[in-house]
Amino acid sequence: MLNNNSKYKTKEELEAELEELRLQLEEANETIEAIRTGQIDALVVQGEKGHQLYTLKGADQTYRVFIEKMTEGAVTLNRKGLILYCNSQFATMVNLPLSKVIGLPFDTFITAENQVQYKDLFEKCWKHDCKGEVLLVAGKGQTPVQLSLTTLELEEGVSLSIILTDLTSQKATQKQLRQNNQQLEEINQALESSNNDLQQFASVASHDLQEPLRKIQIFSNLMKEKQDELSPESSKYLEKIIDSSGRMKVLILDILNYSRLSASKREVECTDLNELINELRDDFELIIQEKNAEIHIGELPCLDVNRGQMRQVFQNIISNALKFSVPGKSPIIRITSKIISDKCFNSKQDKNGLFCLISVQDNGIGFDEKYLNNIFALFERLNGKDKFEGTGIGMAIAKKIVDKHKGLITAASKVGQGAKFKIILPIMQSQP
Amino acid sequence: MASKKVLLAEDDLDDQILFRDFLQHRTDITLMSIVENGVELFETLEEIPSPEELPDNIIHYQNMPKRNGRQTIELLKESNRYAQIPVVVYSTYADQKLIDNCCKIGACTVVSKPISKEGYDKMIDGFLQIIG
Repeated sequence: MLNNNSKYKTKEELEAELEELRLQLEEANETIEAIRTGQIDALVVQGEKGHQLYTLKGADQTYRVFIEKMTEGAVTLNRKGLILYCNSQFATMVNLPLSKVIGLPFDTFITAENQVQYKDLFEKCWKHDCKGEVLLVAGKGQTPVQLSLTTLELEEGVSLSIILTDLTSQKATQKQLRQNNQQLEEINQALESSNNDLQQFASVASHDLQEPLRKIQIFSNLMKEKQDELSPESSKYLEKIIDSSGRMKVLILDILNYSRLSASKREVECTDLNELINELRDDFELIIQEKNAEIHIGELPCLDVNRGQMRQVFQNIISNALKFSVPGKSPIIRITSKIISDKCFNSKQDKNGLFCLISVQDNGIGFDEKYLNNIFALFERLNGKDKFEGTGIGMAIAKKIVDKHKGLITAASKVGQGAKFKIILPIMQSQP
Repeated sequence: MASKKVLLAEDDLDDQILFRDFLQHRTDITLMSIVENGVELFETLEEIPSPEELPDNIIHYQNMPKRNGRQTIELLKESNRYAQIPVVVYSTYADQKLIDNCCKIGACTVVSKPISKEGYDKMIDGFLQIIG
């Protein structure tokens, strides 16, 4: 150790002393670093009474490492709010070397506008744990942090522990979320207004288009009564006007029907599909006789559906099956059903399932499956108007109704080999 | 059977002429007059002094200026003098909503405007059956 007895020291002696002190400092620094990083739990110090063993309060190596390594900042304050200890994460947060942080009042690092809030927290926390969000002064910048304040019982008395969680990325996420929500709202508004436009259009179609159309129909019918005054050619043109205006009338009604589906409130009731399809069979009686068609109806369930709308679905499918028949061949339509477990077309049969799969199979002209999506799109027609009449809205209406019932619809077919329409519907409609 | 007195409220000139022409041959109805709108309808009714000479049936076009069919029906049904006269509504487009709305306030029936001579005859046959 040091030789304090000699009054005079040579330059060499002084240099040696300096070297000794430097080594001591280095050793002390190493010890501090070792304590900080949890490499040691106790120190043996040579004192006046010989060697003494010092254990560290709460010398729990795990916790010290934990505090040092964790991504949150951690500080310990005394009653006056001075920083007794901090981890290196906190020093990084406030952009200062560790050594300069110790001993400073913690409120040095709180922005002016958050001082009142911090003082409030600092007062409350001695009674019970509390949390708050403040802006931390970090060099020239500011960092949003959450402070979690807890008191600690130490040997020297009660002190305060504060854990600081950096909220920068959380705030950024919140901001992003707010922006996304706002965007969504704008899109919703745009959608709503375009829906309104559509409704408006439907109402215009219902009156303003139908009035002149009716005039065309009525006056061409009147002219037809005076057919003997017309040349055969004019007579032919007149027939075409009457035909076209009739088609236009059907088209307008179909568009109206389709657009009204989105607006209408859906009222569902338990509906016996056997009854519903038998009714339809009666409606189609004329064409069934004319085409010598057969409709075989298997046992069908009762489902929670809007009766009127579901009637339209089967009306459109059956009418298609009758319409697209192979010339000279009697249409045969088979309607079957089974209860299934899942809402998918290859689901297992399950008598306790929540869904029903209904198939309508015909022996008509069929279609190429590459046009499957076109069938359910508005105004799509796979066949020429000359051979088969129709507006191209029927199956779009069917799909929309099935969609509104939270169901699925698809079709399978090969050209010349009939078509099979498959519908999945939930047995119960849970009301929103 | 006595010929039924019919009052028509119709603002479309073509339809006024069609109505008159198509129903001229019928002896079971007499077209008293044609008014252009709901306001004129009341003026015409007010001018009829004796209740016996009031129309047996009012045929009202729904989509009218000044007062539409529904508004007129409501006013007619509120009046002691006219509440008993059967009113039928005819419209270019008669959907279930219009039918429900008009019948709720006292219309006998709502029909689509015919597009042929036969259609007009059928419509009037139907009206006569309803008003008895």
